[in-house]
Amino acid sequence: MNLDALTEDELTDRSDAAGEPSWLRDHRLAAFKRYLDQGWPNSRADEFWRSTPFDRRFTTDRELVDDASTVTAPRSLTDDLEVEVAQARFVDGVVTDITVPTSLAEQGLVVADLATAAAEHEETVAKALGSLTTGDPDGTGANEDRTIAVNDAAWTAGVFIHVPAELEVDAPIGVHIHATRPGAHLPRVLMVVERHAKATLYLEHTSVDGVDALVDEVVEVVAHDGSEVQLATLQSWANEVQHLSLQKVQAHRDATVRTLSVTTGGATVRLRPECDLVGPGAEVRPLGVYFADDGQWFDLQPYVRHIAPQASSDILFKGALQGRSQTVFRGNIFVARDAVGTSTDENNKSLILTEGAHADSTPFLEIECADITAGHGSATGQIDALHLFYLESRGIPREEALRLIVFGFFREVLTELNLPGLEEAALAAIEARVESADLSAFQVNDAGLKDHVDA
Amino acid sequence: MADLEIRDLTVEADGAEILRGVTLDLDKGKTIALMGPNGSGKSTLAYAIAGHPAYDVTGGTITWQGTELNDLTPDERARLGVFLAMQYPVEVPGVSLTNFLRTAVNAVSDEEVPVREFMTRLRTEMSELGVDESFLQRSVNEGFSGGEKKRFEILQAALLRPQLAVLDETDSGLDVDALKTVAEGVNRLRGPDLGVLIITHYTRILRYIDPDEVHVMFEGRLVASGGPELADELEDKGYENLKAGAAT
Ligand SMILES: Nc1ncnc2c1ncn2[C@@H]1O[C@H](COP(=O)(O)OP(=O)(O)OP(=O)(O)O)[C@@H](O)[C@H]1O
Ligand SMILES: [Mg+2]
Repeated sequence: MNLDALTEDELTDRSDAAGEPSWLRDHRLAAFKRYLDQGWPNSRADEFWRSTPFDRRFTTDRELVDDASTVTAPRSLTDDLEVEVAQARFVDGVVTDITVPTSLAEQGLVVADLATAAAEHEETVAKALGSLTTGDPDGTGANEDRTIAVNDAAWTAGVFIHVPAELEVDAPIGVHIHATRPGAHLPRVLMVVERHAKATLYLEHTSVDGVDALVDEVVEVVAHDGSEVQLATLQSWANEVQHLSLQKVQAHRDATVRTLSVTTGGATVRLRPECDLVGPGAEVRPLGVYFADDGQWFDLQPYVRHIAPQASSDILFKGALQGRSQTVFRGNIFVARDAVGTSTDENNKSLILTEGAHADSTPFLEIECADITAGHGSATGQIDALHLFYLESRGIPREEALRLIVFGFFREVLTELNLPGLEEAALAAIEARVESADLSAFQVNDAGLKDHVDA
Repeated sequence: MADLEIRDLTVEADGAEILRGVTLDLDKGKTIALMGPNGSGKSTLAYAIAGHPAYDVTGGTITWQGTELNDLTPDERARLGVFLAMQYPVEVPGVSLTNFLRTAVNAVSDEEVPVREFMTRLRTEMSELGVDESFLQRSVNEGFSGGEKKRFEILQAALLRPQLAVLDETDSGLDVDALKTVAEGVNRLRGPDLGVLIITHYTRILRYIDPDEVHVMFEGRLVASGGPELADELEDKGYENLKAGAAT
């Protein structure tokens, strides 16, 4: 099946062959209609696509991949933790393995193939699946373009994670998506965290070198009243992958949500880490770090919608660029008319390491309610010569000093979450980028050198 | 030949000439105090010794133990034993203090110091200088108070064990107790292997760290020198006499 030419018959056949319940098949066919109703995003017409030319950065004329028969499973970040973890792996559009430690299973934690869960946990799955992608009556729901509709209609590998009320899962739950074949991969993740439960999800993305794949992904996380949810995503693709991802959380009353997206791999990565605050007192902290190297294009679009009153959000994304790379930060905060007492802030900082790199940064605020506090900021700069001098004056050679400064730039974000193994993994990914860099080409801003005179 | 020899040094910053021919000798084991009014060029001299990129040496030489420093990078100078405690220590966001100190200690040492040994040394020096353990988790100078920054400069000197320490107004901004702690820290470092150039406006630090010589800078030149009594005289009478002298 080609992504440009899905057909109703093929979708029906696949759904039946997978033994999916009829509600799910109907759900897919409804999405198929929306898929037919629109073309691929048009970067001239769609304001969310303005900064990234869809037709130049993404190729949709691809066959769907759903055959993992010859592949050995990759090693996952969660394999290296010293705790027992629940995890699921997708390879080439197929769920290859799922493990849930008995102790957690006994407490009711579910990590299951989504197609199976659609029958076994029909009520929960049917209610939640797609509820965050297709505008629902409460007025939330993502701006759905064809990249979402195509996943809704044709997702292949999917996982359902259910954390029952009051259960606190301390160890992260891992979902690892791995690509070894070119073509289109459509993974789907659905996580429902019931009231006062607590869970952390690591969503890891990797691919084999040289594999030109398109990964069009949708992640939905429902955080019910008083729950605590952390979502960390690692975009660690090899250089060829094109990645489209909606990573969306819905936060109910008093839910605390923290997300971190770490993006270092891929040819083009367009992330939409989103959160709808639908219950009073909900709180979200969307964090992001990214490091773009020669030829890479990252488009990061965190979006927070304040629907309920007295909720708070604080976005912080930091990125470094080197070589001929491009990053786009388009942060959006929407505050609905009734969302009184909202507190929100949004910041993006870019560190341009070498000439030829481009960082576009636009923090947007769309505010319909007067009684709120809101801030936003954006800063783009280079390594500060004064910082460099201070480190060098202590005997640290220039290259090592540059590395320390680059890591320091990210550390502020990475240490905030205190997630096991994650800071190390993110720093290692960044380190690999810095290792390959020509440090002598790093640009240093010497405007700061005179600071001490005015101090 | 003195360990540190500065000869006819002229230095520019931002196109303006600041040092107009400075000559100074300092031997290891000795302590020199450098005084002078605001803007006279004391920090400029300190930065020129350390190799600050904003200060261009346009003439003269700085020689340390027989090696001319003029064309060496700041880190090369530091590895030759030169240390500058800065008047305005720099905040380096996100760079962890522990990581920074360990990298610096390894850079100036001949061989890598094992982590445990390093941590033991670090904790010892911190407690001697009254720096709280919680600073280990912090970023270099970030959010430190003025006094904390000064203590941290001396902590670095204690760990890096330089042979030439230039202390640029390390005493300013310190309360009475802190001044004593910091001065004691400096005194622990002093000995036959360390030369100290201490820049200050006040004699109170010189009560703890007695200088062998006092020099006075005015408008980019050294205009007077003497023993410790010169410092007392300046504190009493100020620099008016110098200014009068320079005007004629
Ligand atoms: N980077 C710079 N660019 C331009 N001018 C500078 C720079 N650094 C110093 N100056 C100027 O050079 C002169 C000497 O400055 P310096 O900092 O060396 O003085 P100082 O003797 O240390 O003064 P203070 O006692 O106030 O610390 C001042 O007039 C100062 O404004
Ligand atoms: Mg000064």
